[in-house]
Amino acid sequence: MSNQTTSRSWKSLLDLPENVWRSIFRNPLPSSDLGRASTSFTNFFLHLHPVKVHRNSLRATYTLGLGLISFFLFFILVVTGILLMFYYVPSTTQAYDRMLDLRGTVAFGIFLRNMHRWSAHGMVAVVFLHMCRVFLTGSYKPPREFNWVIGVLLLLVTLFMSFTGYLLPWDQLAFWAITVGSSIAGYAPLVGKQVKFILLGDTTVGQEALLRFYVLHVAVLPVVLSLLAAIHFWRIRKDGGLSRPVEEDALPADASSPSVEIVQGPAVVMASSPAAAAAAAPVLQKRHYGIQGLVRGPFTKIGNVPDRSVFAWPNLFMAELVVFLITVAGVLLVSLLFNAPLEQPVNIMHPPNPAKAPWYFLGLQEQVSYSAFWGGVGIPTIEVLLLLLVPYIDRKVAGVGRWFARERLLANFLFLTFVIVNIVLIIVGTFFRGPNWEFVSPW
Amino acid sequence: MKTPVKPAIEETGDAVTRRKALSWLSGFGLFGSLIITVFSNLIFIKPRATYGQPNRFSIGKPEDFPSGARVSLDARRVCIVRDGDKVAAISTTCTHLGCIVSVSETGFACPCHGSHYDQDGNVTGGPAPRALPWFQVSLAPNGEIEVDKDTEIEAGNYLRV
Repeated sequence: MSNQTTSRSWKSLLDLPENVWRSIFRNPLPSSDLGRASTSFTNFFLHLHPVKVHRNSLRATYTLGLGLISFFLFFILVVTGILLMFYYVPSTTQAYDRMLDLRGTVAFGIFLRNMHRWSAHGMVAVVFLHMCRVFLTGSYKPPREFNWVIGVLLLLVTLFMSFTGYLLPWDQLAFWAITVGSSIAGYAPLVGKQVKFILLGDTTVGQEALLRFYVLHVAVLPVVLSLLAAIHFWRIRKDGGLSRPVEEDALPADASSPSVEIVQGPAVVMASSPAAAAAAAPVLQKRHYGIQGLVRGPFTKIGNVPDRSVFAWPNLFMAELVVFLITVAGVLLVSLLFNAPLEQPVNIMHPPNPAKAPWYFLGLQEQVSYSAFWGGVGIPTIEVLLLLLVPYIDRKVAGVGRWFARERLLANFLFLTFVIVNIVLIIVGTFFRGPNWEFVSPW
Repeated sequence: MKTPVKPAIEETGDAVTRRKALSWLSGFGLFGSLIITVFSNLIFIKPRATYGQPNRFSIGKPEDFPSGARVSLDARRVCIVRDGDKVAAISTTCTHLGCIVSVSETGFACPCHGSHYDQDGNVTGGPAPRALPWFQVSLAPNGEIEVDKDTEIEAGNYLRV
């Protein structure tokens, strides 16, 4: 009796590691398609992904991984940002000293600050490039209009995150960039002065502004950005995955054939030829409703039609892991090679000449040097409104899912003009402006 | 034997039923609460007191400023101009984007976006949209000059000391 109990106890003790492991990861490493599917949807993190993903979504030359890189940079920013918060004090008398402490006494302090600074610059750039990718492949077309709008909001929040973080070191660069930047807000009609006062908590940049920017930077904006990003990701799936070209053979050749079960939303019916739409109509009438029927866009399981999707495990997860490793490696490398700038402590008497905003706002500052209202408020507002309305202005459905599609020549031309003008303004502001914002030659 | 279930609400057409009235009232209440919440928060984050520098301050006796002096008090963001027995205070906050303008040979120059002003603060070049304001200057009972940055006066109005 006691012998039996002992051996049972022994066995449960020996099995303990495996039992614990299995209670956490319900699926063993999959070796069959069923296993691959259930690995995806029994894991909290993996179930955010679809079980199967279209081959086109995995083409590195199509997405360039820019959306993923943006997210991973944000992840790095959250981690390094929380670590930096342990040593930072948002006070005008202490903030700069804490920056020096990061250099001098805090273990890995300078390295963490470098990672945070360069990831922030990188995130602004990559989010912008991601927007360019989405535009140039026509991916904002129905049913993805609203996700484009959320994407534009994410770009704005990213810029505001970066702007609020810029003040925190409380050095000359920070102080004067925020003085110039917040004055731009003051030019907005009607509410401008009020917005500036509420943002700064005073009439000039000082202790109140530092505290307010700190709270926005570490609490308010990260929450807003996370929420918007979550909706952005969720909608990718609900809008039928990443955009891709319409596949002619994905539509039934002979729609009256009863063996074909097709579940697809109206978007694709519109996108294909009218003949195909007419052919699909009788099928749609007697379609089978599954839970997938709630999702718009074409699905992968289409009877005897070629299936171009692959299992997310391991294809998608491996791709994401590679992009993550490349992103981390890039940030680590840049942070080892270059130190984040830190100028003299704030001296209200002596603005640096020229006083320059961070590079991504130098296009704005260049515009502002011509006219404060039009350069700082008028034109940016028009640009943001146009960006938000892009999917509602450009309603043509041709040329989705291909880079530089011929059918989208005009739209792409206009967008590239907008991009190039802004990049030229940034380059002029960065390299060709000297003391008193006069034109200088960098060579 | 089953009795048919009586519908909870009789179809009454356009008449205001109790349910409709309550829906309206609760919708109004919820929406109203939301608006009040948003406004309360706006009122909350707009500070009632500021902790920065006062806008009314004393700058010393008139003798501290010899005739022809143009002394820029950068901390106060004001330039004291003395011409004979006349004294004035001109703002040194650039009307463009709030940088501090420095005193130059021709008047004032802004380092940020290259705005230029003449001796009286009128715009002579650059993106500045309007002239530098003049502030009210008065003699306090103790004989010191007092500047009030809350009161702007017309350019050319000097205080005689």
